[in-house]
Amino acid sequence: MSGIFAINGGACVAMVGKDCVAIACDLRLGLQALTVSNNFPKIFQYGDVFLGLTGLATDVSTVSDLFRYKVNMYRLREERDIAPRTFANLVSSTLYEKRFGPYFVGPVVAGLDPKTGEPFICGFDSIGCIDFAKDFIVSGTATDQLFGMCESLWEPDMTPDQLFETISQSLLNAVDRDALSGWGAHVYIIEKDKVTKRLLKGRQD
Amino acid sequence: MADRYSFSLTTFSPSGKLVQIEYALNAVNQGVTALGIKATNGIVLATEKKSSSPLADPSSLSKISLITPNIGMVYSGMGPDYRVLVDRARKVSHTGYKRIYNEYPPTRILVQDVARVMQEATQSGGVRPYGVSLLVAGWDEGILPESEEEAAGAAPVMGDDDDEKKKHPTGKTGGILKGGPMLYQVDPSGSYFPWKATAIGKSATTAKTFLEKRYTEGLELEDAVHIALLTLKETIEGEMNGETIEIGIVGPPADHLLGVEGVEGAKGPRFRKLTPQEIEDYLTNL
Amino acid sequence: MDLGRWIIGGSLRPCALLSLASVRSVHPDRLKLQCAFPLELQSSRHRDLGPVPTNNLKLPLADLHLLSNFVHNIAKMEILLGITGKDFTLIAASKAAMRGATILKASDDKTRHLNKHTLMAYSGEAGDTVQFAEYIQANAQLYSMRNESDLSPSALANFVRGELATSLRSRKPYNVNLLLGGVDPITHKPSLYWLDYLAALAPLPYAAHGYAQYYCLSILDKHHHPDITLGQGIKLLTLCTDELKRRLPVDFKGMTVKAVTKDGIVDIEFNDDKVVKSA
Repeated sequence: MSGIFAINGGACVAMVGKDCVAIACDLRLGLQALTVSNNFPKIFQYGDVFLGLTGLATDVSTVSDLFRYKVNMYRLREERDIAPRTFANLVSSTLYEKRFGPYFVGPVVAGLDPKTGEPFICGFDSIGCIDFAKDFIVSGTATDQLFGMCESLWEPDMTPDQLFETISQSLLNAVDRDALSGWGAHVYIIEKDKVTKRLLKGRQD
Repeated sequence: MADRYSFSLTTFSPSGKLVQIEYALNAVNQGVTALGIKATNGIVLATEKKSSSPLADPSSLSKISLITPNIGMVYSGMGPDYRVLVDRARKVSHTGYKRIYNEYPPTRILVQDVARVMQEATQSGGVRPYGVSLLVAGWDEGILPESEEEAAGAAPVMGDDDDEKKKHPTGKTGGILKGGPMLYQVDPSGSYFPWKATAIGKSATTAKTFLEKRYTEGLELEDAVHIALLTLKETIEGEMNGETIEIGIVGPPADHLLGVEGVEGAKGPRFRKLTPQEIEDYLTNL
Repeated sequence: MDLGRWIIGGSLRPCALLSLASVRSVHPDRLKLQCAFPLELQSSRHRDLGPVPTNNLKLPLADLHLLSNFVHNIAKMEILLGITGKDFTLIAASKAAMRGATILKASDDKTRHLNKHTLMAYSGEAGDTVQFAEYIQANAQLYSMRNESDLSPSALANFVRGELATSLRSRKPYNVNLLLGGVDPITHKPSLYWLDYLAALAPLPYAAHGYAQYYCLSILDKHHHPDITLGQGIKLLTLCTDELKRRLPVDFKGMTVKAVTKDGIVDIEFNDDKVVKSA
């Protein structure tokens, strides 16, 4: 309930399906128990790669802006979009650069490998230690609840539609048991040549 | 105080030329010839190892250097300047890339970084331009030329739409979606050029004329090594043997150089130097 | 954290100092205590055990944040309100300048005009507020002079956020909460931005800072509509100030009220003399 990571609240989850990945976040911005905004998205798109950021809202903005800059510079320099795995390593090295004064965020990366089309997801701690996963990654104040939901709902080789249902139910039911997150959600389903973004209204209490 | 009055030695002449850079190029054109040939499946870099005295130990001299496991470099011009650039190239490929992205830079990125170092020497105070031209050879992961052609052939049949094409910008030099062998020349001015085959140094013109005649599209690496030796033979002053010739190749991953076996996913370096024995073998087949 | 500086600075009351000390010294023991409890007790007790660090790093910002909470209790009495409507943004700020229990001034204007159609209201630590607001104001005006065009409210909001975020990780961060209201000079769309001292930025239809949030946001939740007129907005504001007069333990000396419309920033006559019977 207390601690820097939980001042503003928020939750994020990424999941792997068959030839697709999904990433979703809640929309709440709060100050302790008080809700300030119900329209504070925590997922950011950089080319074909998606970054979810939970934690201290100021650092969510700072870090997302920083990576927008870094990825734009990468694209100009290399004349190509950054690959999810490369981006994950960029996130890691960038966060570790601030090892003794970290950004208070829990990042999640999701995307498809541009060469093989393989799903890629991973998570990080605030100083850049990468957590690679074959199934799902959770982050934020509803981490415990999300682990429970994902552990019970996730199964291998889901179609994009199944994946959407699974990630949405996981997030929605997790945040309903967390006072610091919820108030609507954004869900991205990422396929080879299609990205679908959906807004879930969710409980507004 | 020192740097406030430290002007660049490279200043414009009234005619608009930067003569210091031209002098640097003169130094390059007095250097030992080096050449590079790009094949479909690799690249060869070759040069002569000329020693000033018969007492010198040629085995300790090395003019072709590995920068990253997939990129190598050769020079023509001033040896000491080259060593500085090799150090900088190796350093920047880690600080500016490997330590950030956990992968080695693509060839063009490395070339641009080295070219920046060389350009800065033409505009900074208190320094002179580097007296070398470089040939940088590397292999990039990405869409290989063959599969690119396949994709281009298949695209109309599958009826891919516009955004599919947007994802694969083709025909752009150095666009790094493009994989396979890459050969670049970098000059003291900091300008760089991609080549199919080229030569630098004393007999560059002769060598290039020769290469123009011998180079064909769809060359294999083995043929390229052969042509490289033939070209070198045209221009070489001394004797040609495994001791006096240096060859570096970019080819298939050299897993035997890994030092370990059975590590999953481990790939050997694509860039390696040929041993004197290997060179001798090529020479006998010449 | 240099405690001495804070004591000399006088911004910490003895009781705040006490609780600060207790948080800093008792807290690791509490943590041990918590782990010593049998498992069943942990869940019911751990809510009362104060801040539990989420990792074992010694974090500069963590100290800063603990400290800010105490400094902020005074600033939380200051009221900032913002309401957007169909074609306007209303900004209101309490007139009282407070220092501890004393009201130093009853006609304080806690707003600064950034340009013709952007207004910023501030609250927070005494010196920081005006200093930071005028720094932002100067930069906004400099931009207007150099470029012969004004920054949009959204551009300004993001600029302010950047400055505040940079300051947050400096040796002495600004302790300022802000509301930034404006009307876009091109689209004529009204907008309102909420920024706290940590530089968290949120665009909102209506917003408040400090204790006023607890009293007013529920009222605004119930009565606000994006299409309201300026008149309705002022009525809504009165509803909020009435509630504040009813429930806040201090006299905040009425409100400075300003409205931003496409024609610029206008002062709004606001009746501060209305007496509201306390609850």
